[in-house]
Amino acid sequence: MSAKHYVATVGELQPGGKRIVEAGGKSVGVYNIDGVYYALRNLCPHQGAGLCEGVTSAYVTSSGPGDFAYTCEGEIVRCPWHQWEFDIKTGQMVVDPRMRTLTYDVSVEKYEVSVDQEARIYVHLPA
Amino acid sequence: MESTAIAADARKRRTKPAIIDCDIHIPSVKEEMLAYLPRHYREQIDTFGMRLPSQGAMYLNGAKGGRMQEQQFPNDGKTSSILEHFRREHLDKYNIAHAILTGIGDYGINTTPDPDYAAALCRASNDYGIDHFVSQDPRVKSSIMIPKQDPLLAAQEIDRVGDHPGLVQVIVSNGAEKPYGNRFYYPIYEACVRHNLPFAVHVSMEGIGINHPPTGAGHVNHYIEYRMARTQIMMAHLASMIFEGVFVRFPELKFVMIEAGMLWVAPYMWRMDQDWKALRSQTPWVSEPPSEYVRRHVRFTSQPLELPPDNAMFEPMMNAIFADTNLLFASDYPHWDFDSPLKAFPKMSAERRERIFYANAAELYGLPSPAGQEASE
Ligand code: FES
Repeated sequence: MSAKHYVATVGELQPGGKRIVEAGGKSVGVYNIDGVYYALRNLCPHQGAGLCEGVTSAYVTSSGPGDFAYTCEGEIVRCPWHQWEFDIKTGQMVVDPRMRTLTYDVSVEKYEVSVDQEARIYVHLPA
Repeated sequence: MESTAIAADARKRRTKPAIIDCDIHIPSVKEEMLAYLPRHYREQIDTFGMRLPSQGAMYLNGAKGGRMQEQQFPNDGKTSSILEHFRREHLDKYNIAHAILTGIGDYGINTTPDPDYAAALCRASNDYGIDHFVSQDPRVKSSIMIPKQDPLLAAQEIDRVGDHPGLVQVIVSNGAEKPYGNRFYYPIYEACVRHNLPFAVHVSMEGIGINHPPTGAGHVNHYIEYRMARTQIMMAHLASMIFEGVFVRFPELKFVMIEAGMLWVAPYMWRMDQDWKALRSQTPWVSEPPSEYVRRHVRFTSQPLELPPDNAMFEPMMNAIFADTNLLFASDYPHWDFDSPLKAFPKMSAERRERIFYANAAELYGLPSPAGQEASE
């Protein structure tokens, strides 16, 4: 069983965007990465910062000193406190995947109440 | 009578486990060494002296001559007499299977602003070392002195003598003009890799001549402060090697930290790992935790052994510094802060002892396992 919490309309959460909402007493960050929605508990497993308040960024790799290559654009959140990087899609710390924050399911729902009503995004928390 | 005594002595020696001692300083005979210099520099030295800055001109040492006071080397102008003394007083006494001389001559070579002179002195020191020490006793190995002032000249010297089987590493002073991770030094590391030689840094010459002051806060006053400052500099070199990406550029390179301590490596690695979690994206070529580069690429010698006040801390700290793979025993013979191969370490398991006193160094330097040891058991 899970409880469903309203996040935003699809129009309000564009690709590259993020919303932080209260859901069942928890703070949750919901991200739109290239049209797919991901939800993370807004709590850093390190020392408890609001993880999703951090900068959304890319993963930087390198072929050697002085080289910087960007991958996974928009898929990384850097904790606002100690700057640890987490994969938004999995909630896992990039360099230590055992360190993780909770992730939640997200659904998009549309009710045919009126034709121009926008689809709505929901996050599902375990009840 | 005499042959019985010799046999008894040999038996006694065999029962002592063989040791590789990774930090040895035997004096050289200046006249015999200078004979290897070209005329130009010999004449200069005759006229003006060595013109090398020295540590002794700025700092005290721990004892007269820096040595254990009973270690009076023969003074007959012959290197062979010095070697004889060394054999008796150290190699035979402690069953040293291999002694790694950490430089021949004077680290002052690493302090002069004249790179050509430094290169000439290095060539002379290395050739003198080969002829008078390394070739005279198969137990004696040595380190290649290089003019670190000029990495291209340094690489030439490594190419010149780097394949000699008695020369097992390249060595420079801890005192430096730039941290050793700087790409200025790449030609040296390229040459090390070409000849499969570790790059060793030995504490010395911090703040002397062209080298930067022994702390970032400037010069220190007393010899004991100076000794503390050396560790800081080695720490800076270690972080520099890792974060400048030397081990990424040169995946085969080994880095040996000599006489700068060992237990500090543990909290220092923890600190680097912790910071790397936050700052990784600024040096993304460092793709693994810094401690992993230490484990794979860095070795450190034991002397002067820093023992925790509570012996219960010893084993955990040894585990924390990967002692079973990364720690090398060193006595620093004949210096006053010598660690006795028999007495310096607290009790350890036989396996751990064997790693630290032999196997780790044998693997690093490609030295054979102790001859005859298994046979005698
Ligand atoms: S609280 Fe998030 S990295 Fe420390």
